[in-house]
Amino acid sequence: MNNHLRTLRADRGWSQADLAAALGVSRQTVNALETGRYDPSLPLAFKIARVFEQPIEAIFSDTGA
Amino acid sequence: MSRSEISTQPLVVKILGGLALAAVGALTGAALANAIEGRNMPWADSLALAMAIALITIGVLSAITMALRPSTVPKGCGVLQIVVFLLAGAMFLAPMYASAFVTADTVFAGIVVLLAVQTVANVMLWRRADEMLRQVMAETSAIAFWALQTALFLYAAAERLGLVDTISGWGLTGILMAVYLVSSIAAAARRGIH
Repeated sequence: MNNHLRTLRADRGWSQADLAAALGVSRQTVNALETGRYDPSLPLAFKIARVFEQPIEAIFSDTGA
Repeated sequence: MSRSEISTQPLVVKILGGLALAAVGALTGAALANAIEGRNMPWADSLALAMAIALITIGVLSAITMALRPSTVPKGCGVLQIVVFLLAGAMFLAPMYASAFVTADTVFAGIVVLLAVQTVANVMLWRRADEMLRQVMAETSAIAFWALQTALFLYAAAERLGLVDTISGWGLTGILMAVYLVSSIAAAARRGIH
């Protein structure tokens, strides 16, 4: 699964630690999400969407579709 | 939110960090080699000592990481991880060295207490972990279980056939921890955790 987390975060001038704090996860988790090494659960994906005030499909895309 | 932490480290910092970790690894390896060399230790004790030093070293490195970059691990997990590693190391050392100071019964009672405390810390760690850390822990368990049950079956068959010597429970515990540590490294590396 692809995502635009790094771009969205950079656009807002947030650090990985900032985003991690907003999501209630570790900085390692944010890094793994951004580098595609970890796909979030549905609850975390919704949380990410709320933080960035965008629909989930605008942040994540399924490469296999 | 504001830019409170640099999200990517400069290359020179990464290189220096890598060199520092390599130095710690070299010193740890040298200390272990000195500890084992010339003592004529059974291989099971040598392995247990290696595991103890590895676990304690990981605990110390985790403490340094937590102090330098608290956001690296989920909130409330850093101290628990350190406690788990240090207690595991202590439990490997106690059966070999503590009986020189107190009776075997006392040592065993102490180990039971340490194990109980470590179990509680492990449960708390699971509950406080974020979803990726839980995933890493679950994958570590799965990899270690698969590797150990495969190895145990092969060993048991070979032992039953009289092809290999019997390994003590102490030796098997050392092997179990070694496999678990390697499994945790593999599971963490898949997620980019170093």
